[in-house]
Amino acid sequence: MLSRFREPALWIALIALAATGFWWAGRDREPAVHNGRKVITWIVTISPLRDFYEQEVAEFERQHPDIEVRMIWVPGSEYHMKFKTLAAAGRTPDMFYSGDVWISYLLPFMSDLTPLVQRDAAEIGLDDYFPEIRAAMQRDGRYYVVPEAVNVALLYYNRRLFREAGLPEPAADWTWDDLVRAGKKLTRPATATDPGVWGCSRMEGWWGEWLIYVRQAGGTVFSPDGRRCVLDSAAAVAGLKFYLEKSSRFGISAPGGYEPVNGFVNQRVAMLVGGHVNYWLNYNQTPGLDWDVQLLPAGPATRRGGEVAIAGYALSNITRHREETWALMKYLTRPAAIAAIVNRGGIAVRRSVAEATLRDPLRQGSPRHLAAVYAQLKYAEPIPRHPDFIEIMLQVVQPEIDRMVMGEFGPEEAGRRAAAAVNQYLATFAGRTPP
Amino acid sequence: MKSRRAEQLWFWLFTGPALAGFVLFSLWPMLRSLWLSFCQYDVVSAPHFTGLRNYAYLIFSDPAFWPSIKVTLVFAAVQLPLSLAAALGVALLLNQPVRGRGFWRSVYFLPSILPQAASVAVFVYIFQSDGGLLNRVLALAGFTGPAWLGSPAWALPVVIMISLWGFGYPMVIFLGGLQNIPRELYEAAHIDGAGAWARFRHVTLPLLSPVLFFNVVMGVIGALKVFDVAYAFGAAQGLTPGGPARATLFYGLNLYQQAFTYFHMGLASAMAWLLFAVIMLITWLNFRLSRRWVHYGD
Repeated sequence: MLSRFREPALWIALIALAATGFWWAGRDREPAVHNGRKVITWIVTISPLRDFYEQEVAEFERQHPDIEVRMIWVPGSEYHMKFKTLAAAGRTPDMFYSGDVWISYLLPFMSDLTPLVQRDAAEIGLDDYFPEIRAAMQRDGRYYVVPEAVNVALLYYNRRLFREAGLPEPAADWTWDDLVRAGKKLTRPATATDPGVWGCSRMEGWWGEWLIYVRQAGGTVFSPDGRRCVLDSAAAVAGLKFYLEKSSRFGISAPGGYEPVNGFVNQRVAMLVGGHVNYWLNYNQTPGLDWDVQLLPAGPATRRGGEVAIAGYALSNITRHREETWALMKYLTRPAAIAAIVNRGGIAVRRSVAEATLRDPLRQGSPRHLAAVYAQLKYAEPIPRHPDFIEIMLQVVQPEIDRMVMGEFGPEEAGRRAAAAVNQYLATFAGRTPP
Repeated sequence: MKSRRAEQLWFWLFTGPALAGFVLFSLWPMLRSLWLSFCQYDVVSAPHFTGLRNYAYLIFSDPAFWPSIKVTLVFAAVQLPLSLAAALGVALLLNQPVRGRGFWRSVYFLPSILPQAASVAVFVYIFQSDGGLLNRVLALAGFTGPAWLGSPAWALPVVIMISLWGFGYPMVIFLGGLQNIPRELYEAAHIDGAGAWARFRHVTLPLLSPVLFFNVVMGVIGALKVFDVAYAFGAAQGLTPGGPARATLFYGLNLYQQAFTYFHMGLASAMAWLLFAVIMLITWLNFRLSRRWVHYGD
């Protein structure tokens, strides 16, 4: 009798086991509500600010006992992969980071913040953000991120190397010619006992530096309607030429591929054009590195063109707790939070924090010339607002620039080849998203 | 009859989990990617059927597609023979009756179990143009070393050199094959006056040919799919992935970037299926050609 039921019972057990497995795998691991508190998720890059963010969240939760914040810590190199995996699984975190350069790519996951920003304009102090930063927060006039950090391209320089070369420090009215003159005096060839010094760095492998020169020479990447690449214009070519000739003609930068690793930190490079605020902490922790910043030297056409890039918080468009997440975003970008971040080494996105920092008589460490940082903002420009900017620049344009740097051809040919390749790309995908 | 049904039940009970895993995590994603290869799909929006557009774009318009194929084929053509030769050479040495043989076998296998990223980081230090170990040694001898990592001409050869470091797995397989060759055949050949080269050529190679064939097939597949070393190479230098000038833009890396950097899942799926087709074709060719040189002793 018992054996009659054994086989069906085994089948039922097998099916039940499989069903349990599927249920377990598919269950909602981030419930909307947990212990009566609304759960919001935030994917965060692991950084030296981790303890700061954890303290901020703890304080936020104390002030909002009905909200629980779950932080998903991810190494920087895995951030996009983790984020996209979660998004593909329909579990986009309620809040995530996005640089303005990534907005076009992450737009499908973002909420349009414009109604919230307009509603709470006074509370968030919209006017407190620098106009350049407000511009970078938007796409087509709509707000998508609330900024927390900003980077602006600057001229970084090593004060000790300038002193040793008997040179005055860079001035706000410097031009490319001044950069070259100083660079020549700062450059010291390597010997058997001395690794030598290059007058100026030359950033290879991405657009960070050469795009500055292209813009300062009066050029740009895309035509105003974004439908054509104009890197073959005379102005753009002039910018590429200066980028190339820093090494090939003036000898103030290392030849292609020979840039010293961490040259500015290791004091093998006296000046750096562009740079990034994220390195300030490292610079200040490097023994003996006495550094400062100045406005970018002006190009033949304009001083404008140094890049401004923001990083801020975005709100998922599938969030179940829109208002709660918005509250957290407002909390993390309030002036006190921004000031705390700036005190650890950074640039203020808020005017009030910037002014307080500039006035602070107790402020120590580099950069001393903080006024130049905020002055440079006036001349800074966001990267072109093309939806495929990153892909076009890294996949299509940069290989041609690399070949120019390695001496395969000159700047005219590089501009021509890059423009032709980009225009082919644009023609293929004109008016629509690439496949 | 009853016992047969019970046997079936136990069969499904034991194979079920593995089969379910295969269907859910291999077969279904493969079929799904085949469908997606005919779609425009950005992960978030629903897939939009576009027919053969992804394939046409890859073949006729994508500026990175053909360069990535060229890089991958050059890598496979150079790296595979070198790594197999190194693996076979070391296996022959480690098959000799010398003292500490086990120790040396472990030493030569060790690099294969090191994380690829760690190996690449070490090699990147060695090959740095400014201050790297190799160029310092060259400087002592009065030479200026090239920009190994930054030059499009040198970057791929450097990646090939780095990847040669881990020949442990084919070496172990060769070693297993060598130990299965009867000693009497060598003794007979020796008595007949065959020298070392003749014994290798006429005894070792023919009897090792099935093992060699296995290593060739697996090596070709591995070389065409190479990803980790290329990814780590770019990351270790802070370079644009695949740089400089697409010199290290391997097919796998290009596919990864399309999928996980630019959200072009349809395009990436098409690339995956093209790669699958090429690997199938080459493997089929390998099997066809193997009839001419692989001896199974039957």
